Amino acid sequence: MAPDSQAFNTPADLDRLLDDRTGEGWFSVHRDAFRDPAVFELEMKHIFEATWSFVGLESQVPNPNDFITTVIGRSPVVVMRDAQGRLGAFLNSCRHKGAVIFHTSEGNGAHHSCPYHGWTYDTAGKCVAITSQRQAGYPEAFGQIQHDLAPVARFGSYRGLMFASLSADVPSLEAYLGDARRAIDIIVDQGKDGIELVPGAVSFTYNANWKFQLENSSDTYHFIPTHTSYIGVLEKRRSARAASAPAGSIYEDIGAQAASRRGSFTFPHGHVLMWGDNPNMSARPLYPLLPEIEARVGKVMAKWMMYVRNLTLFPNVQFAENASMQLRIIRPLAVDRTEMLTYCVAPKGEPAESRVKRLRQYEDFFNPTGFATPDDTSAYEACQRGDDARTLDWQQGYVRGIGAVQAGGNAEAAELGITPDTSMVGGYLMGDETIFHGNYRAWLHLLKRGLEKR
Amino acid sequence: MIADLAAATALLTLEGMLLDEQDWDGWLALYEADAEFWMPAWKSETQPTEDPLRELSLIYYPDRTGLEDRVQRIRSGKSVASTPLRRTAHMVGNVMLVGEEGGIASVKSSFNVHVYDTRTKTQHVFFGRTTHGLVRRDGALRIRRKKVILANDCVPTMLDIYCV
Repeated sequence: MAPDSQAFNTPADLDRLLDDRTGEGWFSVHRDAFRDPAVFELEMKHIFEATWSFVGLESQVPNPNDFITTVIGRSPVVVMRDAQGRLGAFLNSCRHKGAVIFHTSEGNGAHHSCPYHGWTYDTAGKCVAITSQRQAGYPEAFGQIQHDLAPVARFGSYRGLMFASLSADVPSLEAYLGDARRAIDIIVDQGKDGIELVPGAVSFTYNANWKFQLENSSDTYHFIPTHTSYIGVLEKRRSARAASAPAGSIYEDIGAQAASRRGSFTFPHGHVLMWGDNPNMSARPLYPLLPEIEARVGKVMAKWMMYVRNLTLFPNVQFAENASMQLRIIRPLAVDRTEMLTYCVAPKGEPAESRVKRLRQYEDFFNPTGFATPDDTSAYEACQRGDDARTLDWQQGYVRGIGAVQAGGNAEAAELGITPDTSMVGGYLMGDETIFHGNYRAWLHLLKRGLEKR
Repeated sequence: MIADLAAATALLTLEGMLLDEQDWDGWLALYEADAEFWMPAWKSETQPTEDPLRELSLIYYPDRTGLEDRVQRIRSGKSVASTPLRRTAHMVGNVMLVGEEGGIASVKSSFNVHVYDTRTKTQHVFFGRTTHGLVRRDGALRIRRKKVILANDCVPTMLDIYCV
């Protein structure tokens, strides 16, 4: 039965949301995790506002006084470089009455005034002017309190990926990311000068829970059933082209895809990596760069760069690299509504023909205006509506692969020099679901930790 | 002169009507085989992307086969986003002749497209402005290129070719 929304008072109350018995061959998430507004409130407070969130790439703010805006949980945030070029992240909220100071997604400026009463801040967050302060008749005590923009509790970056936490009670960023850092290296090292966002941001919303997106990125099971119409388009294009012409997409020839491997790693703190062979390597925009990459980072890393890989850094960011490379920032808006901010990612300075290939495959596959993502988001919405069947409780979507998953690392993990919590490798049609276990174990841990503190 | 205002307006109106009536073959027949279709993404609050070969677009097809692919997917019955299909009503207005160059007449217009999802009984309006490049072939006006600037680019769930 659906629990009462008021019922989450102690950590033990949360056990009704997750049935983690992989030893007995069972793992499930209760549908209330997707439909109960009380769960959403707990997630905002004890996950998004209590652990590290991705806030952007350093390459988005290359110069002194550059800024970008984002949201952590429900809190508007600005990330900026001060006049000396030092990075910082602050709550984007005037200390006077709360107005948002930074109104655009990005920009540059040494000083920023609140549009309401004119309080002015520099790019180190310092309040440098309170309008008509001397004439105000402020009490003496007003001079004693802090008026600067409130910095986030913790801020850090790894390989140019910036993260912030609204709570100071978090592990170091290095410890938080753990061995998932290796998966970041595989992305960042694709360019000899690193990676950058291709100009053009795409945002979309869907009317379903954020965790459908969290899962879908790692879900190899859905690809053929959900994206049948996209596969059909690729088959049409393939048959229209000369047999000797190179593949136009990595997803051409679903037969070869079906013969490939798919694997997964789960890491502490909820991060997961899905990986798989890529039978149409030459369709990858990175392919022409392979000799340079191999010489620079070695054959093992180069091989992993050519794999299909979807990385989730819990809770709010995913890098999906298959036909092209997408950065996805997940912003939950309500228990049944989510906003996605997405970017095309490329090695800095890639050749023109690679860029075109990257763009066209990206637009086809990843855009909400393309051939694939609309079918994903429509499927999430179908789940959200169907999960309203209130007399049904446990999902049956976390069991595939339980017979194949192993604790710790496997040969692929050894190759990368990492020790994940779990490793799995199987055929394409296995459609592993154990990868989600990593997400939900961290999810439950953070929620419980929050209720313990309370 | 390739087109006067009345002829250009009639073509743009017809295009919207064919999409609303889901007459995909009739709609595709308005396009030249080498018709470019481009809907840029936005790179800031004020600036759409400018170069489809270096920057991201929402949709970019260098020729009509991209539009044919879209129609194939719509008709496949295998796209959950497209089945059942949303209902639309195109409103095309503010049509202006901009000029002619190289045998192509440039025509600007504004659009709003009302989109209704029968599953959730919810609706959305996409709006923006369009520049059509029109040519005359065998006496008839046809579309040689189309550029759509989508003003409200945060897409609720999906946007297909019939939503703009």
